[in-house]
Amino acid sequence: MSQRKKVLLKVIILGDSGVGKTSLMNQYVNKKFSTSYKATIGADFLTKELLIDDRTVTLQLWDTAGQERFQSLGVAFYRGADCCVLVYDVTTPKSFDTLDSWRDEFLIQASPRDPESFPFVVLGNKTDVGEERRAVSAKKAGQWCQSNGKQMPYFETSAKDNLNVEQAFEVIARQALAQEESEDFGDGGFGGDVLDVNGMMERENSSCAC
Amino acid sequence: MEFRVPAIWRDPGAPADSFYEVRPECTDVPKTRFRIKAGKTLSARKWHAAFSPEGHLDIGKTLSRIQHGGIHPSIRGEVWEFLLGCYDPKSTFDEREQIRQCRRVQYARWKEECHQMFPLIGSGRFITAPIITEDGKAIQDPIVLLQTNPHGAVLTPQNTSQAATGLARNDTASTTMEPEFSFVEVQPSSHVILDKKEIQWKLTLHQIGLDVVRTDRPLVFYEKQENLSKLWDILAVYAWIDKDVGYCQGMSDLCSPMIMLLDDEADAFWCFERLMRRLRGNFRCTESSVGVEAQLSNLAAITQVLDPKLHQHIETLGGGDYLFAFRMIMVLFRREFSFGDSLYLWESPI
Repeated sequence: MSQRKKVLLKVIILGDSGVGKTSLMNQYVNKKFSTSYKATIGADFLTKELLIDDRTVTLQLWDTAGQERFQSLGVAFYRGADCCVLVYDVTTPKSFDTLDSWRDEFLIQASPRDPESFPFVVLGNKTDVGEERRAVSAKKAGQWCQSNGKQMPYFETSAKDNLNVEQAFEVIARQALAQEESEDFGDGGFGGDVLDVNGMMERENSSCAC
Repeated sequence: MEFRVPAIWRDPGAPADSFYEVRPECTDVPKTRFRIKAGKTLSARKWHAAFSPEGHLDIGKTLSRIQHGGIHPSIRGEVWEFLLGCYDPKSTFDEREQIRQCRRVQYARWKEECHQMFPLIGSGRFITAPIITEDGKAIQDPIVLLQTNPHGAVLTPQNTSQAATGLARNDTASTTMEPEFSFVEVQPSSHVILDKKEIQWKLTLHQIGLDVVRTDRPLVFYEKQENLSKLWDILAVYAWIDKDVGYCQGMSDLCSPMIMLLDDEADAFWCFERLMRRLRGNFRCTESSVGVEAQLSNLAAITQVLDPKLHQHIETLGGGDYLFAFRMIMVLFRREFSFGDSLYLWESPI
């Protein structure tokens, strides 16, 4: 058997204010949805352990504030990321239009070694509102995901009704793991993030000050 | 001089949060640790006794009591007006009344200016989706359409309280005020705004709305749409008069207590304005930094001197930038403590 290190995968969740980044994360990690969320100030993170093809990985999910003016914090928060999740709200066209700038900004600030191959996953959230209030079609979103060089996985989710959330994060985790492994082969990449997970993460116990 | 009571007979005190009622279904809010105690907490009686017949306030005595036991919630608003520096303790009742009236007029004037630019200000309703593009063109967002034109849709109390997608409307206002703002009147789609300041301001309005529907929602106080729109109005007016800062996430957490403590909207505005004089630096952002980062470096420097071992430990963990304290300082521990406890923390200078 290979003596595998415990892997910490860092995932950054980005998107406009109010699209449901915190709700998605909370639904995935804590299986809860609340109607009284608070705006995220700066950033928060939650962790979750999961098994990917009998490998235990720790997913560290970074939830960020949506207001544009916090973008300068990106350099600090995005460092060492293995996957970036772009979230928009299917009822707000502008939140879809800004995906371009969220992606570009991420690539500038995180500066991954190979921007072309860095994994992004796109989530269109709030599908529970019903077709009559939807303002961005699945087709349009799908096209955007394809037009960016390599195909970005795309999911339509509802954090409120817990639709597609588990499936989306499973893919996110797999993408992050693949990225992490490719970085490992490729001489470190940016900042080795196979940290001393034993020391630090176990005490964290899937929670933070949220 | 105070009569010392044996410990077992001493007033156990009322929990500080009993005055700020939480909706019963919200069980995950922090519990209060601070208690209001007779004899320690500044009471209404002690407060009123601290004024001379003309209205001069003995601030020294009052402050030391606040430091020991906080302020009773029934008088918190009027005491805070002094703590925040809205009024000089050496002024008289009459002088203060005059200043208050002037300030109310000034606030009304600014609010009217804002109302002229965007008629939803002061209407009891607000928006949570963008209304304008960076180059000043109106956005015909379906959510905005619903929010500005309540007759276009059936709104129920359930979906008005939904965070983020919330369709915000003041129920009482809609019955008393007839729909003078149809969508077209609010923003004609052909109209392009050229004034940069106005564009900048309008770009923040939906962000304020998005945060208003997410601020202190577990409190019964914010079940009233009227109070939500008060918060929106004050933050919108503030963003207009302080253009360097405008609106930044976190400010709604700081403004919310003022609305709860002061009944008059203009008075609440001026308390918030005073608070922001001290804190606005934290919210000023540039391309490369957020204002609060200066405070974080100070915190790092202080910790390094006071507790070098702790500082070293934080550095080892990779937290040397102290960004973990970002939110704590940005909203002055509003998220770490219960509503009542954080107010107690704010009013008790160490």
